[in-house]
Amino acid sequence: MTNPIIRIKNISKSFGAVRVLDGLSIDVMPKERLALIGPSGSGKTTILRILMTLERINDGHIEIDGEQLYHMQRAGQLVPADEKHLAKARQKIGMVFQHFNLFPHKSVIDNITLAPIVTKGVAKPKAEKRAMELLDMVGLADKARSMPSALSGGQKQRVAIARALALQPEIMLFDEVTSALDPELVEEVLSVLWQLSTETDMTMLLVTHEMGFAHDFAHRVLFFDRGKIVEEGKPDDIFRQPKHERTQAFLKKILAAGHRI
Amino acid sequence: MEWNWTFAFAILPHLLEGAKTTILATFLGFLIAIVLGLAMALGRRSQQPWIARAVGLCADFIRGTPLLVQLYVLFFVLPNMGVVLSPLVAGVIGLGLHNATYIAEVYRAGIESISRGQWEASKACNLGISQTWRHIIIPQAIPPMIPALANYLIAMFKETPLLSAITVYEIMGEALGAASRTYRYLEPVTMVGVFFLIISLVCAYFARVIEERVRIHQ
Repeated sequence: MTNPIIRIKNISKSFGAVRVLDGLSIDVMPKERLALIGPSGSGKTTILRILMTLERINDGHIEIDGEQLYHMQRAGQLVPADEKHLAKARQKIGMVFQHFNLFPHKSVIDNITLAPIVTKGVAKPKAEKRAMELLDMVGLADKARSMPSALSGGQKQRVAIARALALQPEIMLFDEVTSALDPELVEEVLSVLWQLSTETDMTMLLVTHEMGFAHDFAHRVLFFDRGKIVEEGKPDDIFRQPKHERTQAFLKKILAAGHRI
Repeated sequence: MEWNWTFAFAILPHLLEGAKTTILATFLGFLIAIVLGLAMALGRRSQQPWIARAVGLCADFIRGTPLLVQLYVLFFVLPNMGVVLSPLVAGVIGLGLHNATYIAEVYRAGIESISRGQWEASKACNLGISQTWRHIIIPQAIPPMIPALANYLIAMFKETPLLSAITVYEIMGEALGAASRTYRYLEPVTMVGVFFLIISLVCAYFARVIEERVRIHQ
């Protein structure tokens, strides 16, 4: 029996008086692909941001690969993690954002090679070779020398995916990666994700409103509402026979809005 | 009083000599201001509250007192405490320090204009704090600052006549010297004015060119 690669135990998170996560626990197995769905404000994005250490938790514990994320051992005691510990933990995790967040002052290839060169000391030619492989994979080898401002949203997002992959994370977090795109550009990004799901065995967490894609992509779907997991299960079960009435209501609303399953 | 060309040409070499000092003082002062200003801007963002506060108080104090007073302190008061500075050194330090406090605000605005997403992407790319500053934040924050920095350069340039108060023979000092020897003010003062006008316009032009270059390069 393998151990979970991500173990989220009873975490809570509040922004001011608003409790966005309320005693949440999730185990994610290595190579597992999880889709996190639910209405906006249900806390699904916050979970990814917490795993990327962009937000701190108020309560609870998280383990990545058996190592505490927000805590560390010091003199036999579990104390809050310092920046050094967080930096080390972050190495295992990559994230792709809704708004791409490419570095606008760097060319496409420099966006991808910056972190390997700077944080891992990879030699520039080697980093560029790897970057070209990644660009090839996302279908943008011809854009290596372009600036991000010259790319479409879909292209930017594919570069962002390549950038995250360049650090070879064990876990990839995708935060509504198609939500900011024009409808006709969604497909090209989803097809890259699909390719990742078939060609790699990374652990992936996907927050999305693309229900059809979530159905095909994920091994397990979690439905969130008001900071809690309301229902979870295999994609077929969640999408075809949701048990909880809030899941049913959410899926009905999404379908009425024209999303396919 | 009529314009006297002969007199104007006679004092020109002196004024040009002074102009060299003016330009030197401006650029050295500006160099201090942009380096110290960055340090101040970073200091004010420090995680340590006492560093942020101390830097803020110092900046407010310097901004709240006139440059002329600061120049007098640097040149005439510090020697009483055993610190003797040459006129030019005192002038450059005064000019640089005074303007660093303003330039720090330019940096602050530039840094704050960088979206949170850039910080988050840097974190997701595993860049450390200093790597994020160096590779992501500062290179993006500088280009939009160039017009404001150029304005400060021009403003500092026009402040250099204050240095004549501490016996720096910059262009205004030379002009006043010539005027007091002959009681003719028209030519020296006009020529100083024209000199400042020309240099200011040239600086403004180059600032625009640099800004455009940097933007295209992005």
